[in-house]
Amino acid sequence: MENDKKPAAATTEQDLPRGNPTATKEDQARDNSNPSAINHTSPTGFRERRFRQTTLPAHFVERRKRPRIQTEPPPPPAPPRIGDYASIIGMPELDEIRFLARHLKGKTVKMVNSTAVGGGVAEILNRLVPLMNELEVSTKWEVITGGNDFYEITKGYHNALHGGDYNLTPQIEDIFLSYSEQNRQRIEFVEDLFVIHDPQPLALVRSKADTRGRWVWRCHIDLSNPHPGVWGFLKPMVEQYDAAIFSSPAFTRQLAVPQYLFFPSIDPLSEKNKDLEESYIDKVCDDFGIDRSRPILTQISRFDRLKDPVGVIEAYKLVKKYTDCQLVLAGGGATDDPEGAAVLQEVMDAAGDDPDVIILNLPPWSALEINALQRASTIIIQKSLKEGFGLTVTEGLWKEKPVVAGAVGGIPNQIIHKLTGLLVHSVEGCAYQIRYLLTHPEFAAQLGKNGREHAKENFLITVNLKRWLILFQILLGMAKPGKTS
Amino acid sequence: MATAPQSSLHPRWARAPFYFNSAAHLLRIGREQAANLQELLEAIRTCSDACIFQHTFQTLEEHHFIREGFSNDFSHWAFSACNEVELAERLAALDVREFTSIAALRERLVNIIETYLKKNPRSAARVAMEPFYLMAADVVVVPTPYVSRNLEEFADGLRKVSIHSIYYHFIDARLRLKLNNNDFSVWLEEELDMAQAADRLNRIDIYTSTLEGVRRNILRIIEVEIARV
Repeated sequence: MENDKKPAAATTEQDLPRGNPTATKEDQARDNSNPSAINHTSPTGFRERRFRQTTLPAHFVERRKRPRIQTEPPPPPAPPRIGDYASIIGMPELDEIRFLARHLKGKTVKMVNSTAVGGGVAEILNRLVPLMNELEVSTKWEVITGGNDFYEITKGYHNALHGGDYNLTPQIEDIFLSYSEQNRQRIEFVEDLFVIHDPQPLALVRSKADTRGRWVWRCHIDLSNPHPGVWGFLKPMVEQYDAAIFSSPAFTRQLAVPQYLFFPSIDPLSEKNKDLEESYIDKVCDDFGIDRSRPILTQISRFDRLKDPVGVIEAYKLVKKYTDCQLVLAGGGATDDPEGAAVLQEVMDAAGDDPDVIILNLPPWSALEINALQRASTIIIQKSLKEGFGLTVTEGLWKEKPVVAGAVGGIPNQIIHKLTGLLVHSVEGCAYQIRYLLTHPEFAAQLGKNGREHAKENFLITVNLKRWLILFQILLGMAKPGKTS
Repeated sequence: MATAPQSSLHPRWARAPFYFNSAAHLLRIGREQAANLQELLEAIRTCSDACIFQHTFQTLEEHHFIREGFSNDFSHWAFSACNEVELAERLAALDVREFTSIAALRERLVNIIETYLKKNPRSAARVAMEPFYLMAADVVVVPTPYVSRNLEEFADGLRKVSIHSIYYHFIDARLRLKLNNNDFSVWLEEELDMAQAADRLNRIDIYTSTLEGVRRNILRIIEVEIARV
């Protein structure tokens, strides 16, 4: 089945604009008088053709009209084993992880969250729990249950903790607590460590007094501006834990318990991030009508106004005045979400008839294709207006790409301006930084190199695995900070 | 692995072996944060020693891959969030190797910021683009399987250990030893009587090189010594 959302592309080759539509007569004259400015191959491998719009070959036009999108989810690959990471992090680092785990041998851990599939937390636990068990730190994963009323309430809490409005009533509090009580009765708490993820299972901590274990609350959301009523209700529960973990220092609240920083992480061996054959990247670009001989600017994100896809198109248009490039906006969420569909329409309207804006509404099983798109990109953009941590930025850094991103949410934790990427605050700033990178490929390459190292040091699943092992040792009193383990 | 004769005075055998360790860190989020330079100054005056250590010493390990343009978190924040280039330069010029105590390092930081704010009083309350969050690290020392009894084994260990081990012995050690020195140089001098090599090693510039570069420089010095001996 082909994607029924047509990308904004000209219908025939003849419809394509000739020459840069935004170029002045002076630009065109300069262009014609300076053939050396055309087809110059830069050190990053793409061809710069300043002030000239390429005439698209017919097969690109066809692919852009009808991109080949995989319609069925592929079978899930086998999860990697801990030894598979040696080629990425090196044996000494892997030895350190094994050493930390050896000290926890015989200890037991229980992770609890609200869903077994879908969502970032389930994705993390799907990887983390098998690795912990392989390291002989016996880890169980439990999922709480609840009726629709419970999940409506927790969705309301989630939005309220992000600063949204919410009418918290005693009845709502009772429903939340009664489902928590049911789960508390159902789940056995016999382990040495309990890690409770996010607000949904937060009230399970009422079992703490009956257990010998240590309790940790892992908060994956941004609590910097919570609804006072909802936070006032939840905070006393948080303060019963032995420690709380946040994804960024900017996401925390003042709490009476120690707070630790665990950056979210990516798995370098997952479909989304593993190395790909160049031929596969070529194929994906071909399937989507992307011309690899010209610069490719890419933003991967769901069609959401907070990701500012229209702002990205405006920035691209400013860049296009100087450099012939393509923009790829790829993401999902426009098929099952009415707001996503509306945003997709806005994006297509903003793109107009520019054939070099390639809009891809991809299904959730497109990890390999997204990986290929990121790897084919000259620059990765994430011009969010509001952001959680921004794992698409992490993915770009890991792929050694120069990243231009909005200075919001957890992005400044990842992008050290001018060292591991470029932070921007406006459409104009975004356009300027892209232009700078396109004309300074050595600088772009250095950012990419630093970005990959930054991701390797801080944002890989193996780093988080190590963080968990250290935290468990500290909480169980097996390692005093600063002393030999 | 070769067995070292006990208390050998042969120049190739150390009197005591060198045990390579490494360190694993977990970041703790502190209560203090600063929205402007005045608040940063107050925070630096009152925060724990562990916070000062984190933002000066430890950050060097976290950003070990950056060859230039990164010295410590305070300098980076003054530059990128406050746009105070002169202050950023002054803070960046601070070399942690000159300090054998956190108290002295804290005093120097306070002095640099105070002097700057006296000269530029309007900078004190200007709101930064993003706050500075003070953090500290819990550190767990991790032994490695590598032990050296002579220069060859030492070079072998240096090649094999993680970059965190290099940081632990070469940079972190300065505060542990309370000396302007590092574990490698101390071992070379005290256990192998190689004062000159120890000194050359101690003079490697950690601010203009990545930690991998530091590892290469140390190895270069050791390989010269191996060839010479």
